Amino acid sequence: MSDQREAYQPPNSGSGRSYAGPSAASGTMHYLCAECGVKVGINKGEPIRCKECGHRILYKQRTKRMVQFEAR
Amino acid sequence: MVSSTPSISFDTLKRENLFRNPPKDKSAFPALLAAVQPHIDSFNAVTVEGGLLDLARQDIGVKSVFNGKNQNENLGDKLSLRVDKIYIGKPRISDRDKTSLRREIYPAECRERHITYRGRLTVKIGLRINNGSWISQDREIGNIPVMVRSNRCNLENLSPYDLVEHKEESEELGGYFVVNGIEKIIRLLIVARRNYPMAILRSSFAGRGKSYTQFGVQIRSVRPDQTSQTNVLHYLSDGNVTFRFSWRKQEFLVPVMMVLKALVETNDREIFDRLLAVKDRENSFLTDRVELLLRTYKGYQLYTKKETLQHLGERFRIVMGVALDMTDMEVGREFLRKVVLVHLEDPKDKFRLMLFMIRKLYALVEGSCTQDNPDAIQHQEILLGGFLYGMIIKERVEEYLDQIIKEVRREVMRGMLIDFNNKEHRTKIFGKVNENLGSSLEYFMSTGNLSSPSGLDLQQVSGFTVVAEKINFYRFISHFRMVHRGSFFAQLKTTTVRKLLPESWGFLCPVHTPDGSPCGLLNHLTHKCRITTAISDTSSIRKTLVSLGVTSPATASLPSSATTCIQLDGCIIGWCSLKLARVVSDTLRYWKVEGTHGVPLDLEIGYVPESKGGQFPGVYLFSQQARMIRPVKYLPLDKEDQIGPFEQPYMSVAVTPSEISPGESTHVEFDPTNILSILANMTPFSDFNQSPRNMYQCQMSKQTMGTPGTALRYRSDNKMYRLQTGQTPVVRSPLYSEYGLDNFPNGTNAIVAVISYTGYDMDDAMILNKSAHERGFSHGTIYKTEKLGWADEKRRGGTDSKNLFGFVNTEDIEAQIDDIHEMDDSTDEAKIFKQRAYEKLGIKEEWLKTVDIDGLPKIGQLVRDGDAVAVYHEVPKESDAGSTRPRNKVFIYKGSEEAYIEEVRLLGTEGGDNKPMQQITIKYRVPRSPNIGDKFSSRHGQKGVCSQKWPAIDMPFTESGMQPDIIINPHAFPSRMTIGMFVESLAGKAGALHGIAQDSTPFRFDEENTAADYFGHQLKVAGYNYHGNEPMYSGITGEELHADIYIGVVYYQRLRHMVNDKYQVRTTGKISDLTHQPIKARDSVTLRYFAIL
Repeated sequence: MSDQREAYQPPNSGSGRSYAGPSAASGTMHYLCAECGVKVGINKGEPIRCKECGHRILYKQRTKRMVQFEAR
Repeated sequence: MVSSTPSISFDTLKRENLFRNPPKDKSAFPALLAAVQPHIDSFNAVTVEGGLLDLARQDIGVKSVFNGKNQNENLGDKLSLRVDKIYIGKPRISDRDKTSLRREIYPAECRERHITYRGRLTVKIGLRINNGSWISQDREIGNIPVMVRSNRCNLENLSPYDLVEHKEESEELGGYFVVNGIEKIIRLLIVARRNYPMAILRSSFAGRGKSYTQFGVQIRSVRPDQTSQTNVLHYLSDGNVTFRFSWRKQEFLVPVMMVLKALVETNDREIFDRLLAVKDRENSFLTDRVELLLRTYKGYQLYTKKETLQHLGERFRIVMGVALDMTDMEVGREFLRKVVLVHLEDPKDKFRLMLFMIRKLYALVEGSCTQDNPDAIQHQEILLGGFLYGMIIKERVEEYLDQIIKEVRREVMRGMLIDFNNKEHRTKIFGKVNENLGSSLEYFMSTGNLSSPSGLDLQQVSGFTVVAEKINFYRFISHFRMVHRGSFFAQLKTTTVRKLLPESWGFLCPVHTPDGSPCGLLNHLTHKCRITTAISDTSSIRKTLVSLGVTSPATASLPSSATTCIQLDGCIIGWCSLKLARVVSDTLRYWKVEGTHGVPLDLEIGYVPESKGGQFPGVYLFSQQARMIRPVKYLPLDKEDQIGPFEQPYMSVAVTPSEISPGESTHVEFDPTNILSILANMTPFSDFNQSPRNMYQCQMSKQTMGTPGTALRYRSDNKMYRLQTGQTPVVRSPLYSEYGLDNFPNGTNAIVAVISYTGYDMDDAMILNKSAHERGFSHGTIYKTEKLGWADEKRRGGTDSKNLFGFVNTEDIEAQIDDIHEMDDSTDEAKIFKQRAYEKLGIKEEWLKTVDIDGLPKIGQLVRDGDAVAVYHEVPKESDAGSTRPRNKVFIYKGSEEAYIEEVRLLGTEGGDNKPMQQITIKYRVPRSPNIGDKFSSRHGQKGVCSQKWPAIDMPFTESGMQPDIIINPHAFPSRMTIGMFVESLAGKAGALHGIAQDSTPFRFDEENTAADYFGHQLKVAGYNYHGNEPMYSGITGEELHADIYIGVVYYQRLRHMVNDKYQVRTTGKISDLTHQPIKARDSVTLRYFAIL
């Protein structure tokens, strides 16, 4: 198992940014409100609330970064 | 119910349209909603304005307490308490929350946030001081779980379109509760039929005391609020009769004469006359016993009603827990109201029924009537979840009042002065009482355990609720149709309770019961069986009966000629001769079906004719809740009649029109398949199969990897199974479409060849075509949801969490990470240098491959065992600010398989506490393509394990070049006799060739018109062999096989048991000397134990 893992290299490691932070680099991540679908920026330590409707669940957005897997 | 024209066609466009545009008015599948209706209706009946809760609060009555120390007969001021109203609100977020725009909470949010879907419980308490006027006070006593889609749910009456808007299935059924994010349902439970005195022979009765015998008459009497009290009459060997009841789990015995004399002002002569009709008086067996009954009671020296009531009141004052200022007589009356035949209000009715019960007891002893079988469905009804829920609420509220009273007493005993007029004193008392009734109901829902002082007249204390698992839709829907006999019977060693009795015909499915320990105890309702949840209107029945010549007990006591008793819900409403009884019941039935004379259609008319040693004769009418009922056709009017299990054994119901025997049959079944449950109906051609195979199929369809629903996106179940390539079966019955099961496909149509080909198909193994596998045949997915965070710790009473999601030094990481990533790592030295840079930041390089800068995993990321999925750190303490930076820590993914991050949810809390994120859920997607060792099954109890994925080039092929997807061994058939599978194969092949769906309803073919001929003909028309055989060629040599091969289309299910979850291989560790096999942990413990011995 562990051998396998070491053998595997994520396709974009080593080539530039491998984490998909907000490229705006404001430090704020944007999430989707489960109720109204609006994009909500939440800073670290802030309570989980939709800024528009006050809903209590947020979804993390799918990354904009290219995701590629080895087709095996 | 005249079923709408059954359609077996695929209706692809209609279905597609329904799926794209959910209807904005009502569901397209009313049958599906009807399947869960008993659950919802029973809950609604409890909570509706003026519903059962209102009746319950009336039954609780007034409780009072005094503030004097009971010295010198001075009781002090009297405080009376009663409940004016019990109200359950709809689920809303708490008032402390100021930020949310929409105040309602919907079930989907509760599932996602792992909270309970609950509404506020409020009671309006009425207070009265001495003889003043009543004042009301509202008390909020917690939040109680609310049934989804009930009248207390925000989804009530929503159209499919709106349901989809609220993140539900378009066909969301409701009928369950959401407790801590888990869907729970209250099981339907079989209990004794209400308000019917049952003659019982039980050897344990004899052990009750000296001179007790095995004879007894038992009645489960049910109050209008659906709570019940069981009364038993015991026969003593000398001919005496004792009345037994249990109160707060304690048993009490009272001479029956005492009860009789307390009920009405009567004398021995009257009792004798009313007990024995003229005919009976020549029977010295009866007269002797009645005489003895009357004579022995003389010993008590209680003659009048007043004396008897006082005697009873004195004895039961403490037990009943009544107010201090009640007289003995009042206590006696309260005793009769609360304990004796509680379904009746009028003491005269109670008196009459008590006499009837004594008469039946004597008849049982004499042998002129037989015992009633408590295991037969004839003497059973269903305890509905909603009603049970109402019973618990009632008891909790009553307990709440008792607690207030107890609190006052305790304070008074302690010497505190309590002034009821003082508002502060009152609030103080209320403050000391536990006012959180909601939590006890939540406890009940989540554990299924009943903690009750009275036991609610039930035989069990646990196992009332089960998780409504959504493994696939079949399993989910079955939960609502499931009836359990009671966990008490599961421990019984005898098999009598588990037997399938002919009485169950049409009410409980004979096929759909699990094998193994719950066999026969866990049954399923037939798909046409309905459970009544409201009383039908019987207001004009008495008048109607009198017009038929029945003697009313209101005008005359037991008439000398009359021998047959007519009862309506356990109340004697008339007497008539035997001859007339038959006429009465026949006429009533005619009118009932006709809908005239005020006889409701769902009235049960149980006419028990006179017999030699059979059931005690009489006409028993039932109109109340909790009865099973089913539609059959009434022949005289050619209209639908609704019949119940009590009357059915005395009726002649033909199964098919050809079976009708003139002059005898009164009814005919609408369809022979009405005896099957929803799932059993989905087995194609089940009448061709050996019966246990159909049972196996019912079990296996519930373990299939299918489609649990379409709103999977909004669910976060621990584990969910999903079939990627579900299809609608080519071979299905019209019910498949009626129940809308196309929304939840459960398998795949596979080309199946029955051939022994490779040797890899021995012993129920099957061979999968590798190319079929590669095209996605039976590809499945498992969704696993993991909760991460510290919210649970807090709930368990811990302190506020000291952890936070994310990196402790986000800014530093953001600023430096790109540079560090691009650092040179070509040499060992550079690698170490790079490593150091990461360490300096307090992170590891590999974390950032799976985790974003916010500390949460990336959506769509592949994770393996040990990969980081979330980063957190401790909150720096304010006291030692600036000293050391807390370390970054990670949650890791644990699992032997690769998984993809499907969804990440950030869960907030209610209330305006402004706390940072403490909980997230991660949904992983684990792809599961069919593997060697995975379990598959056809719909005929023919399960098998995939033994090889055989390359397509080596698979046998037909003359048209067709290759099978699946090869099974012919040896699977002779012993199992699942001919239905052959017929399905034939029908599926013909259906696929002609592009039509095939009707697979059982009981449609017979010896003259055989299924083989019908489908064989279709095959012939399509240019294929009439028998479904085809010449095939070996894929390896290309030679024609010596025998023609049976090949066709069979719908295959992929079962959820997969090797990936099961295999446990160990290469190191202890092995047994004898067998060279690894020793299990438990075995090694046992070995050590033996060594000590």
